[in-house]
Amino acid sequence: MIILHNVSKNFGQFKAVKSVSLSVHNGEIHGIIGASGAGKSTLLRIMNLLEIPEAGDVEINGKTLTKMRGKDLRQARKSIGMIFQHFNLVANKTVYENVAVSLKLARFPRRQRKGRVMECLQFVGLERFQDKYPAQLSGGQKQRVAIARALANNPQVLLCDEPTSSLDPNTTAEILGVLENVNKSLGVTIVIVSHEMDVIRSICNRVTVMADGEVYDTVSIEPKGIHILDNNPKSFVEQLTKDGDVGHA
Amino acid sequence: MPEILVQYEAEIWQSIGETFIMVGVSIIAAILVGLPVGTLLYLCRKGQLYENHFIFSILNLLVNVTRSFPFLLLVVFLLPFTRMVIGTAMGTAAATVPLSIIAIAHYSRLVEQSLLDVPRGVMEAAVSMGASVREIILKFLYVEARSGLVLGLTTSIISFISYSTIMGVVGGGGIGDFAIRYGYQQFKDDLMMYMIIIMVILVQLIQFTGTTVSRMIDKR
Ligand SMILES: Nc1ncnc2c1ncn2[C@@H]1O[C@H](COP(=O)(O)OP(=O)(O)O)[C@@H](O)[C@H]1O
Ligand SMILES: [Mg+2]
Repeated sequence: MIILHNVSKNFGQFKAVKSVSLSVHNGEIHGIIGASGAGKSTLLRIMNLLEIPEAGDVEINGKTLTKMRGKDLRQARKSIGMIFQHFNLVANKTVYENVAVSLKLARFPRRQRKGRVMECLQFVGLERFQDKYPAQLSGGQKQRVAIARALANNPQVLLCDEPTSSLDPNTTAEILGVLENVNKSLGVTIVIVSHEMDVIRSICNRVTVMADGEVYDTVSIEPKGIHILDNNPKSFVEQLTKDGDVGHA
Repeated sequence: MPEILVQYEAEIWQSIGETFIMVGVSIIAAILVGLPVGTLLYLCRKGQLYENHFIFSILNLLVNVTRSFPFLLLVVFLLPFTRMVIGTAMGTAAATVPLSIIAIAHYSRLVEQSLLDVPRGVMEAAVSMGASVREIILKFLYVEARSGLVLGLTTSIISFISYSTIMGVVGGGGIGDFAIRYGYQQFKDDLMMYMIIIMVILVQLIQFTGTTVSRMIDKR
């Protein structure tokens, strides 16, 4: 369980997050949606103290992160995975090394490292790409590597900042599928920030709506499921015109 | 081989050796001190991970002041310091002192610039994975910036060679000094030309090696 208690974050005079309280339940996929600039990313980054809040507390599974500094905080971060809009892979490391570095940081036993890396790559379907460099991968593949890297240390929580916002619709669906699988089969709690309603509606159980640095409301929803389009132009047109009232130009 | 080169063979080899010592020590200083200083400049810069106005301002000032000295004046200015460190202000060993200082200032600036090219997101990913400062630097920052660091060092080494040519003023010797004393001052134009050719070949070799290595390790 992630509990934010009255957290605030200012950038100079600007109040990006204003005394927000929020709880994310274990095992759920929790969406955070809102207009650009609403403070979604800042709120997410407060959850692993990438942004240190001026006020308030962050608690994850009983540990109060905001009371931690240095080594303890670094240790706590190892059980909180994070993925980003622009993937943030190390371009000069291979796919394998990108995942392995996360294990090295956590002092994962050296002899079991290779097995664990391959397990994670298999989970995201990239075991054959272990020797490739990020520049040789598509956007969707890069995000899969990032997910594998974030999962390597068996985190309890995965924080996702606009994980599909630089991907095309089909790849978006693929990545959402992977995230859903992470949640269902590994039991990882997921917090996903997005400005796209479709993304949020397809996989989230609960959604927090943010506006101007504040929580407007949190609602429970029934996830609609992920719709994978055929990767052809016809299905794009069908998708665009299926609501009936729009025709061809 | 041209007769004049045969005639001065021993002196030429000696001057090449002196240049290698002066430039070699500069390279070591650049790597051992310039790299960490450049890294600190980067990390402490405004908006970076360990923003620290105080440390940044001091280092920035030191680097700027050192680099704005005309090099010959820096050599003279440092004479007392050199004497303190080496015991004498004359000779090849003494010449390595001002050379190392300019080398540190020169390379640290290029290091800072290469590191600024590393995407901020990569650093954030490192922090989010619980990396310590040391791990961030060694496992992320230097890995991602490595081709720029090599290219910067290449540029720096070539500047060091150029700086080393004037170390004759404190008896540092070297190829440049040899070209001036034997070639220019004794009107042996051909000897001077040969020395210039040696320098050109040396610089070409270094640039070629640097460019090749930097390209090989760049997977971005
Ligand atoms: N490091 C920062 N420095 C200054 N302002 C920032 C910084 N990060 C975010 N902001 C500002 O805070 C507000 C909220 O940002 P963010 O949380 O990224 O919004 P969202 O993710 O909802 O689009 C924006 O107005 C943004 O400009
Ligand atoms: Mg955002």
